[in-house]
Amino acid sequence: MSEDSAQNGRPKRGPRSKRIRPYALTGGRTRARHHLLVETLVSVPSYDPTLSETLMPESKALYERARGQLSIAELSVMLSIPLGVVRVLISDLAAQGAILIHPTAHTYHHDRNMLERILSGLRELPV
Amino acid sequence: MRKILIVGAGQSGLQLALTLREHDYDVTVMSARSPEEIRRGRVMSTQAMFHSALQSERDHGLNLWEADTVRIEGLGLSIAGPDGGRALDWFAPLDHYAQSVDQRVKMAGWAELFEERGGKLILHGVTTADLNGLVDLYDLVVVAAGKGELVGLFDRDAARSPYTVPQRALSLAYVHGLAPRPEHPTAPGVRFNIIPGVGELFMIPAYTLSGNCDILFFEGIPGGPLDCWDDHPKPAEHLRRILDLIERFLPWEYERCAKVELTDDHATLAGGYTPVVRRPVGNLPAGGAVLGMADVVVANDPITGQGSNNAAKCATSYLASILEHGDKPFDQEWMQATFDRYWASAHDVTVWTNALLQPPPPHVQQILGAAQANPAVARRFVNGFDDPSDFQDWFLDPEKAAAYLATA
Repeated sequence: MSEDSAQNGRPKRGPRSKRIRPYALTGGRTRARHHLLVETLVSVPSYDPTLSETLMPESKALYERARGQLSIAELSVMLSIPLGVVRVLISDLAAQGAILIHPTAHTYHHDRNMLERILSGLRELPV
Repeated sequence: MRKILIVGAGQSGLQLALTLREHDYDVTVMSARSPEEIRRGRVMSTQAMFHSALQSERDHGLNLWEADTVRIEGLGLSIAGPDGGRALDWFAPLDHYAQSVDQRVKMAGWAELFEERGGKLILHGVTTADLNGLVDLYDLVVVAAGKGELVGLFDRDAARSPYTVPQRALSLAYVHGLAPRPEHPTAPGVRFNIIPGVGELFMIPAYTLSGNCDILFFEGIPGGPLDCWDDHPKPAEHLRRILDLIERFLPWEYERCAKVELTDDHATLAGGYTPVVRRPVGNLPAGGAVLGMADVVVANDPITGQGSNNAAKCATSYLASILEHGDKPFDQEWMQATFDRYWASAHDVTVWTNALLQPPPPHVQQILGAAQANPAVARRFVNGFDDPSDFQDWFLDPEKAAAYLATA
């Protein structure tokens, strides 16, 4: 482990206070990770047929389908692959840059302006 | 690079995942909850860990909260007598201190550390159908989620599981403001209070989201006065009921409770489970095999406080088995051998824990009584919590106990 991660992982505290907020334990860090929620949208940023040929069958099917933008839930239903498997495979594809995970409202839960924009957008939906 | 999937983000799963990352394994952990959700959730356990388990964390730089966490210097035993008095009351030091870090703090922090160390954390409550699809994608799948449907993949081992129903009704609260025991005010210790025929109260110094605290933990014999949690009281009522029971059965401990308050809104827990040992290889409907870990395969009652210790020891044992296996396939034979190696130590814990759930036989009463007058006996009993294999050499056998007491 690097010195750096030890410092990040360790709660920085003085004498005991009863009222430390839980997020203080991360050192105020916000994480740029994307949650793969059922509604999270994914897409292929630049389709690579050579890469597609090297993928395992399930990953290949996901990669091909995601050439158009789709949600995790849609991919699971369309390909009859359990949700947990889709999440794992998409995570692996995203880690190698083959698939882009689009931010959802969850990503912005610390950003009040963004949340208000999303909310007003929802109110204007013609339903 | 070998690919390993670990389902479950508790003590055993995350410890194994983090230590495998030191050896460049491609490790994925699937957790039903995000680190933030774990922190904001309910307390999960009492998780007191003794020296050898703590050392297994230190060896890998996982002891991130050690400096901030209260040190448990010893363990004291009291047995309630008639008229609010104590039939026995002693305290003995641990050779090395123990610590309890709230799993909300530790598991959330470890999950984040795992990602920082290059592990993949997937947030998903895993089903058997998921495992069917996942097992072929990995060299090894380990199930370390002791609660939920996946436990059903592992058959109960009847020969190793003497109980078929829960042996205690469990209830706990994390509190600030508990006064120290006047007999050892500067040496924080676990207090083990026995109410004969009724149950036990453990008082455990710990570290939580808001700093150091104490855990009030009742183990109630089913059908007795401590078995009173089926209505799932709200936190404030839950604490009030715990305090009422302490006042009624353990007045000397109630004196310490005048200023206690809950550490937070999720600081209470009640429940119960049947102690069980399961077979370590889970066979999936589609044909794959997965390896069970820690409380998935060996779930003891918390009366001996060994759950997180077992989890840490299981992680250490499984890590060694995985590393030593090199590039060979993780087949069912290897899975069974890996469990058998862990069971060599878990067996001793299981036998001792199952024994302590029964009314104490005469030789155990003699040992606990002798400890009142003889510090060496008390010290041996207390330090057995770190190394339970010692108990088979004296505590668990009437003849060996008599032989030891004759020379102690």
